[in-house]
Amino acid sequence: MSSIEEEQEEQEKQEKQQSVLVLGGGVCGIQVALDLADMGFKVYLVEKKPSIGGHMAQLDKTFPTLDCSACILTPKMVDVARHPNIELLTYSEVLAVSRASKSFEVTILKKSRYVNEDKCTGCGICAQYCPIEVPNEFDQGIGIRKAIYVPFPQAIPLIYTIDKENCIKCGLCERMCEAEAIDHNQQPMKITVTVGSIVVAVGFQLFDAKNKQEYGYGRYDNVITGLDFERLVNAAGPTGGHLARLSDAKIPKKIAFIQCVGSRDEKSGNLNCSRVCCMYAIKQAILAKEHIPDADIHVFYMDIRAYGKGFEEFYTRAKEEFNVKFVRGAVSEIVEIPETKNLIVRVEDTETGELLEKEFDMVVLSVGLTPPSDSEAIENILGISKGEDGFFSSPDPQIFTVDTNIGGIFIAGTAEGPKDIPDSVAQASAAAMKASVALVQLTQEEKHVEK
Amino acid sequence: MKNEEPKIGVYICHCGMNIAGVVNVEEVAQYIGKLPNVVVAKHYVYMCSQPGQALIREDIKQLGLNRVIVASCSPRMHEPTFRKVLGEAGINPFLFEMANIREQVAWAHMREPEKATEKAKALIRMAVARARLLEPISKIEVKVVPRALVIGAGVAGITATIDLAKKGFEVYLVEKKPYVGGHLALLNKLYWGKDASEVYTSLVKKLSHPNIKVLVNSDITKISGHIGNFEVKITQKPRCVTENCNLCGKCEEVCPISVPNEINLGLDQRKAVYLPLPNCYPPKYIIDKENCNSCGECLKVCRKKAINLDEKTREIDIIVGTIVVTSGFEPYKPKGEFGYGKYKDVITQLMLERLLSQNGPTKGELIKPSDGKKPRSISFIMCVGSRQELKEEQGEKPLNAYCSRFCCSSALKNALLIKERYPETQVYIIYRDIRTFGRRHEELYRKCRESWITFIRYKPEEPPKVTEKDGQLVVKVKDWLFKVNMEISTDLVVLVEGMIPREDTADLQAKINVTRSPDGFFQEAHPKMNPLDTFTDGLFIGGTAQGPKDVIDTVYQASGAAAKAAILLSRGRVLIDQVTATVNEEICTGCGKCTKVCPYTAIELDEIKEVAKVYDVKCKGCGSCSSTCPVGAVQVRHFKDAQILTMVENLLPFKED
Ligand SMILES: Cc1cc2nc3c(=O)[nH]c(=O)nc-3n(C[C@H](O)[C@H](O)[C@H](O)COP(=O)(O)OP(=O)(O)OC[C@H]3O[C@@H](n4cnc5c(N)ncnc54)[C@H](O)[C@@H]3O)c2cc1C
Ligand SMILES: Cc1cc2nc3c(=O)[nH]c(=O)nc-3n(C[C@H](O)[C@H](O)[C@H](O)COP(=O)(O)OP(=O)(O)OC[C@H]3O[C@@H](n4cnc5c(N)ncnc54)[C@H](O)[C@@H]3O)c2cc1C
Repeated sequence: MSSIEEEQEEQEKQEKQQSVLVLGGGVCGIQVALDLADMGFKVYLVEKKPSIGGHMAQLDKTFPTLDCSACILTPKMVDVARHPNIELLTYSEVLAVSRASKSFEVTILKKSRYVNEDKCTGCGICAQYCPIEVPNEFDQGIGIRKAIYVPFPQAIPLIYTIDKENCIKCGLCERMCEAEAIDHNQQPMKITVTVGSIVVAVGFQLFDAKNKQEYGYGRYDNVITGLDFERLVNAAGPTGGHLARLSDAKIPKKIAFIQCVGSRDEKSGNLNCSRVCCMYAIKQAILAKEHIPDADIHVFYMDIRAYGKGFEEFYTRAKEEFNVKFVRGAVSEIVEIPETKNLIVRVEDTETGELLEKEFDMVVLSVGLTPPSDSEAIENILGISKGEDGFFSSPDPQIFTVDTNIGGIFIAGTAEGPKDIPDSVAQASAAAMKASVALVQLTQEEKHVEK
Repeated sequence: MKNEEPKIGVYICHCGMNIAGVVNVEEVAQYIGKLPNVVVAKHYVYMCSQPGQALIREDIKQLGLNRVIVASCSPRMHEPTFRKVLGEAGINPFLFEMANIREQVAWAHMREPEKATEKAKALIRMAVARARLLEPISKIEVKVVPRALVIGAGVAGITATIDLAKKGFEVYLVEKKPYVGGHLALLNKLYWGKDASEVYTSLVKKLSHPNIKVLVNSDITKISGHIGNFEVKITQKPRCVTENCNLCGKCEEVCPISVPNEINLGLDQRKAVYLPLPNCYPPKYIIDKENCNSCGECLKVCRKKAINLDEKTREIDIIVGTIVVTSGFEPYKPKGEFGYGKYKDVITQLMLERLLSQNGPTKGELIKPSDGKKPRSISFIMCVGSRQELKEEQGEKPLNAYCSRFCCSSALKNALLIKERYPETQVYIIYRDIRTFGRRHEELYRKCRESWITFIRYKPEEPPKVTEKDGQLVVKVKDWLFKVNMEISTDLVVLVEGMIPREDTADLQAKINVTRSPDGFFQEAHPKMNPLDTFTDGLFIGGTAQGPKDVIDTVYQASGAAAKAAILLSRGRVLIDQVTATVNEEICTGCGKCTKVCPYTAIELDEIKEVAKVYDVKCKGCGSCSSTCPVGAVQVRHFKDAQILTMVENLLPFKED
């Protein structure tokens, strides 16, 4: 063996000893974990939900190519599950991080699933027999799940979880489980790991459309959000992919999309653009047309921001091929007609100056992206700073977006500000690059000390 | 293995309701289960899920399967998933076949479930036939030379280079121009007053790293080889100024030749010996041989003896394991629209950047190029060369249908800056949509509105017109929102140009073999899941070479591309599946037709044996050679004629063999 090779192997071995923590298992965290693991580092991927996948797992198709979201995401999820360098800690949260000389000591809480992870085979018999039905968060509460559940069939890991809040302890699951995996007395576990670097990829939270009271979300059955829409058109969703009204299961013939709900809006407390809503609304308008070819579709917008590769072309297709009507104007109010549950949209068409009142069967709110739900807690635990907009922020956001004010900690994906999947994935790799450099520098410093 | 009786397991995926909602999966499984050699045929809700994979693994163990078929989606995403399952269960991953009954059946024939079911049967029957003839494929191991090449030293290339060097790898950074930095070097400010030249200076400082070799004034002449081992030929043009140069500038003073300065886009002149930019890297003068008349005046005044007019072109050969392509973009050049070229005071935004820049032709003083006076009124016209609408009569040249992504924010940045520096100036923004989607860019937009910058929205059908009236530029435009026809007397018109693929893209493409998207920029392997890989193994892309974007998005993309290269370099070796061409030397006549059609130069004529010879690591198994061979001597492993023909034969129903 040549000396170069030996050196390389040596380097590889040393890097293997180095570990890194990735926080958040959305598409961004998944990419960070895979890249670092592929470089030979040991990766702890911590996800607070029972499965990795994040928001992308909930989407139906993706703009502008209309690839099916789960179909392109699940191969990467599977890769995470089988990667020898990745230790996947789902249904887990980081409790504390302390700095131990150059590295970080991380305390992780592994919440109880009340199901033995090593024994559960994911067969699903338990859920078949469980008598308790609750709204399924994964389907935006439109469908139902049982008190013992997996969020979706391709979940990684495919291990059931008992939701203790709703479980009545009837014991049926325990009796039916052939693998004897149910453990009602399972205790949460604390795990401590030492890592050389941390990447925060905890994603975003959807703007709560209820805060925009004049649009009636939560009050009117047929006003839904963009993410609700994704579940409604998805073949694996609560309606089996039938786009129907929630009030009466009728097929909507007139659908309105309302842009900038909770974005670019002082009243909602978010002045910024959420970067993905124009495109996802265009995508959904096209999907609606594919489901209901004779549907009449309007998109009410301020500016259409079709900025990425193939986006403008996609926008043009929506107008020309699918005859989606784009109306520039801010919607002031939505009113429900109690008898029909149809919706009157009040809007000033800024192109004609006309005040319009239009009736629709269904209204989809293109809600914006807001900072991740745990941003406060993570800020406290890690000490990394946020920008004025509440998303995590680099001290030099004009150039190096993935850095933080703390050496060795990096940010990526929508936790760093709204962005679409391609940008989240590219930024994930950038964070992996920076983390790997931080880890290499640690090794070099250690070597130096040893000498 | 060849003599072993095929024992085939077939797995039909419901894909939730995607397939099962149309295709009668139970019926298909029953039918397929009866075909010869099929040991088991099952259907399951999601074959790609963990239990789905476990099902296959178990059956391989229990039933001794030696062939597996999954009938589900397109092989594009999940073929690797299932191949790995086979590998884990101890059988060769290539004894696997996929039948696409989702895209090609369930989705295509959603409203004809019965016919769809029959088609699903046919496709799987064909897969079964092929599976019988499948052969194991071995892997070839390729060592990865621990060195990277980065092509193009804009902000993307510099970033990728620094990252790789810090990670511990040797990097060659090759740049065509005599200085690094690309367009970043020409900008005045980035958003929010961030000084572009400060960013530039701090970045290029990091290039002084023992792992980095910067070759400016250089061009890639040829790349051959393959992932892990690319042989690269580089030509470095003479600079004619040596390391000794101390930037005293005497040479420039005495040089008698003046030519338009391309760095300032012709807004001023430079000499034949010149320093491209005061802070440029490498900080050395250069002699522009095309314009130099070798008068020797500079030689006389150079005390450091740093000038060598006889310097020759250098040829540099290197071997690298991976290549990162960061060759950037070109600003769109207006073709006479909006009075460009006709009126001197109609300029592009890049010219404006130069006019505002401290190191520009006016040292940052904003003037009208026509008379050097301060403009009192400025109009920005947006989307010049972007979002062009295709009209019937404009068929001759492809137009840029895309949005250039960086220009709205960039123009607003400049509008605001002008308002701050020259508060009395009237600024108009004539736009279609304002696309300030970047983080905090909406704030930029609001700030512009608060600063009394006038926004006028035009419709693409009625674009603004730039004319001249009594020596005064006038922009005529219909405000689409207020429905008024406006005539704006303006001193300076700034055309906010978009980004286009570089003119020499085709030339580079021929050398690196990376495909291009319909917009002309280099194409990523998957627009969402693999935005930094290309279809050529070992080559990665980042920055504006992949498509328009600003510095922020360029930089993280470049670091991401560096990560991909780092993975390869860290591993030190790659395993390549030997799905490659083979030559039957007994039949081969040595006609050489195959060597001419191979796009990868992977097949050559063996001079001694007079037969074709395949280089496995270069071969991509595309089959061009195989279909060209007049005698059928070339076959591609895994796609042999027999393996394909049996599928065709089995397409017809009720044919039992
Ligand atoms: C309606 C809608 C439609 C969209 N359509 C498209 C589209 O068509 N194409 C496209 O490109 N983009 C689309 N997007 C955007 C896309 O969803 C995002 O770009 C992408 O999901 C971002 O991935 P992420 O990993 O950054 O964040 P997320 O998907 O939010 O993932 C973050 C993960 O971190 C976990 N997490 C959070 N806090 C913690 C914690 N404290 N500890 C551990 N884990 C934690 C979360 O549970 C989650 O799994 C759409 C968005 C919406 C809302
Ligand atoms: C007028 C204008 C204003 C802008 N304002 C802003 C702003 O305010 N904020 C912002 O963030 N962004 C702004 N941008 C965008 C910014 O300039 C780009 O995002 C950035 O410069 C892209 O960097 P790059 O490295 O991808 O490409 P480039 O800067 O184009 O660099 C590519 C380099 O590769 C070299 N090269 C190409 N081919 C080869 C080859 N075959 N061999 C060797 N070398 C090669 C080129 O010579 C060049 O040096 C602006 C752009 C313009 C035009």
